[in-house]
Amino acid sequence: MSPAALVHPRGRRMLTAWLAALSLGAAACALADLSWRGLPGPRPLEELAYYPSGKALGPATLGHAETAADLAWLRAVQYYGEHRTTDNRFERMAHVFDILTSLSPSFVPAYVFGGFALAQEGRDFAAAERLMLKGLGQNPTSGELAFQLGFLYFVRPGGRDLARAAQFFEQASLQPDAPPQAARFAAYARQHSGDLAMAYALWTRVAETSPNRYLREMAQREMTRIREAVQRGRRDMVVRRLTTPAVLWQSPVPATPESQPGPAGSRPAGGAKSGQDGGRAVR
Amino acid sequence: MFCPGASALRHIGLGRLEGLDVRERMQTSTGAGGERPAAGRPRRGASCPNPSLAVCARGLSKHYIHPWTRRTTRGLEDLSLDVARGEVLGLLGPNGAGKTTTLKILTGLLKATRGRAWLLGEPVEETASRRGLGFLPEQPYFYDYLNGIEYLELVARLSGLQAQVASERAAHWLARVGLGERPRLVLRKYSKGMLQRLGLAAALVHDPDLLILDEPMSGLDPFGRRDVRELIFEQRERGVTVLFSSHILPDVEMLCDRVAILLDGRLTRVATVGELVGDGRQAVEIRCAGGALLEIPQRWAGRVSRVERAGEAVIRIEDESLLQEALAWLVRSGVEVHAVTPQRPTLETLFMAAAEAEAERRTA
Amino acid sequence: MIPLLVARNTFREATRDRLVAGVVVAGLVLLAATQVVSPLALGEGRRLTVDLGLTGISFLGLLVVLLAGTSLVAKEVERRTIYNLLSRPITRPAYLVGKWAGLSAALWSVAGLLGLALWALVAVGGAAGHAPALLEAVYLAGLELTVVTALAVMFSALSTPVLSALYTLGFYVVGQWSYDLRGLAEKAPDQLRVLLSALANLVPNLPLFNMRTLAAEGLVTTPLHLALATAYALVYVGCVLCLATAAFESRDFK
Repeated sequence: MSPAALVHPRGRRMLTAWLAALSLGAAACALADLSWRGLPGPRPLEELAYYPSGKALGPATLGHAETAADLAWLRAVQYYGEHRTTDNRFERMAHVFDILTSLSPSFVPAYVFGGFALAQEGRDFAAAERLMLKGLGQNPTSGELAFQLGFLYFVRPGGRDLARAAQFFEQASLQPDAPPQAARFAAYARQHSGDLAMAYALWTRVAETSPNRYLREMAQREMTRIREAVQRGRRDMVVRRLTTPAVLWQSPVPATPESQPGPAGSRPAGGAKSGQDGGRAVR
Repeated sequence: MFCPGASALRHIGLGRLEGLDVRERMQTSTGAGGERPAAGRPRRGASCPNPSLAVCARGLSKHYIHPWTRRTTRGLEDLSLDVARGEVLGLLGPNGAGKTTTLKILTGLLKATRGRAWLLGEPVEETASRRGLGFLPEQPYFYDYLNGIEYLELVARLSGLQAQVASERAAHWLARVGLGERPRLVLRKYSKGMLQRLGLAAALVHDPDLLILDEPMSGLDPFGRRDVRELIFEQRERGVTVLFSSHILPDVEMLCDRVAILLDGRLTRVATVGELVGDGRQAVEIRCAGGALLEIPQRWAGRVSRVERAGEAVIRIEDESLLQEALAWLVRSGVEVHAVTPQRPTLETLFMAAAEAEAERRTA
Repeated sequence: MIPLLVARNTFREATRDRLVAGVVVAGLVLLAATQVVSPLALGEGRRLTVDLGLTGISFLGLLVVLLAGTSLVAKEVERRTIYNLLSRPITRPAYLVGKWAGLSAALWSVAGLLGLALWALVAVGGAAGHAPALLEAVYLAGLELTVVTALAVMFSALSTPVLSALYTLGFYVVGQWSYDLRGLAEKAPDQLRVLLSALANLVPNLPLFNMRTLAAEGLVTTPLHLALATAYALVYVGCVLCLATAAFESRDFK
């Protein structure tokens, strides 16, 4: 713009507008940077590099990953239900749950449902374990998830992994949203995996911290029994060999109203299970 | 506005017609105090040469440069014009002459490539220049979903009226232009004529001191045109300055104090209607019967002629000073005189003559 | 004052246009549909309702911006309605600000209505206490729409309706990836880093207005987040409108 044009009213207005735009633009950049660094916000994905998985989908949802996750959840539930009533083959289930949980990493029920569905109907414990560990990686402070993973190890078809079960029960018991039974499950698992010292410590904690009088008494009883067994050198009195869980539901259930329990009834979102494996009921 | 072939136009100053310089005309007819418009590019930041004028334009030019071919099209070339307060000036010209371009530059919708202009003493670049302005654009369109009264209230308030006053004026003007019966009708349902009238109301609702109207009669039936004429007369009585463009010559003849003729982006002539029309000599036609065998006397050759028309003889006298003589001669010759009709040249003929002269000058 | 007049007129035009009414109806239908679908969600029905509802508000609002906002100025120029306004003693910036404010107000109304309906649904489902989270989420969605409206107004002042819709949509899409671009820029080599950072700053920082993850669980966000989002929205809108003004001042209306 020539100097003459600057005197011109329109030129002045344009110049003012440009200057204002530049300063406001700089301020906007600063604020955006601040939000990027300072706010713990939804950060769906860190990389735009293509992964053949749910990670690539995140940017495509244009900020609506949660909704996409919900729609994927519906799809996953449908998938489970369809195959549960027909051929009992769940080849794509791991992938579906992987996408779903990539889109919404904090969607805890998805991990739980997926984990158990994969472990039992899907007969793919490794995939279930991966999914649950992924969940814990994204939600390290979730007592719910830790507990469910512990339980998954506890009922692992073909052989319980009591050590790991106990590890995760313990982790669960330390979280703010710990299920109330986490501590004593940890103690129980430790006890029957042979680690009596740890079990004793855990029972002690239950005895001291449980609000339930019955549970405190039960804990005291177990502690007494452990002490006696150790004194008498008869570990076998308190360490019992638990039965091996079998894979459940080996034949497809026909889709008739009477015989099918229905997904809602048999798989409540992350809660109690009616114990159908060997070993005592856990509620 | 694109003027095909205008690129061949030579810059010849402000134009000359029939021996009279336009500047001289302006000095005599506008009383601008003998001030000569500045030649070439005026100094930026200059204040209005004469703030008492309603409209003051100096050397306005508008060039369009095609973004790709970089060809320059001249929409308006070096237009200088003064309009005194209270006067009615008509802008005449064929389509593409630059009438709308001029009006848009004055109302701030276009930026002039060169030159400056002032409305009511304020430069057109400032919004203050439009405070006393009422503008009616060519083919006005409005918001589909407002109704008439809402629209008028909106524009009244935008022009600076307070809410209460705006409401009253809006209702008044809506009725005044004949749309008052259905004030809540949405503008989407208005006919072309109704839109034109609403546009007029919108231009007048805030009682402006200067009216700029672009083809105000377009789209109106004869009743509508008469109403608009009356409105303009009314405003003139109140001392409002009116500048309007038109190519309907009879209206211009009836309404305007002065006329400015634009051709191909240049202002070729500004004069009063009387001057323009009274330029030509008055001819007279005498219709008579029985004059078929009459011989026109030799001394009148070239100034008197006879034509046969519809069974009558029509004696055409070019110089009205001969009228009495000719009449006496006809009566003496025993011819039955039916009618004596003065032939005043209309604006139309003068307009055509000006256009022809311009065309001749261009080819010369 | 003048911007308010223009804004009020724009609001009227926008709300009387069938588009906005249609969008509200579509939003309500969507919310109703969530109730039909939610039994299939195994107890996650509330989450589904909230997610779909908030997504609906955002996308329907975006639709209004793309259809109405981009023709806001361009259509007026095309149909010459703008001559009636700009020949008045108003400045072009006042006109643009008024246009933006009017359409933003219309969008806030839509967001508010649909947000209210969403809360009603959620409350009926037993989680009336989610109100603060929903309020914040709708507020942020409204801010996002305001920012996109400013972009639409700017492009509309420069270009035709169709092109400005495309530009606005482009900025919206890339804006959703703003954080991803910044993350990528941090890991990129030098020359690319500058380019990516510039791009990330040019487009609106839309993830800042996204708290759908929290709202799905009924959780509120921090006051810092809300303050930052509000400040950013105001500043970005201001910047965009100033640019629009600079471009609009020199525009000729042939």
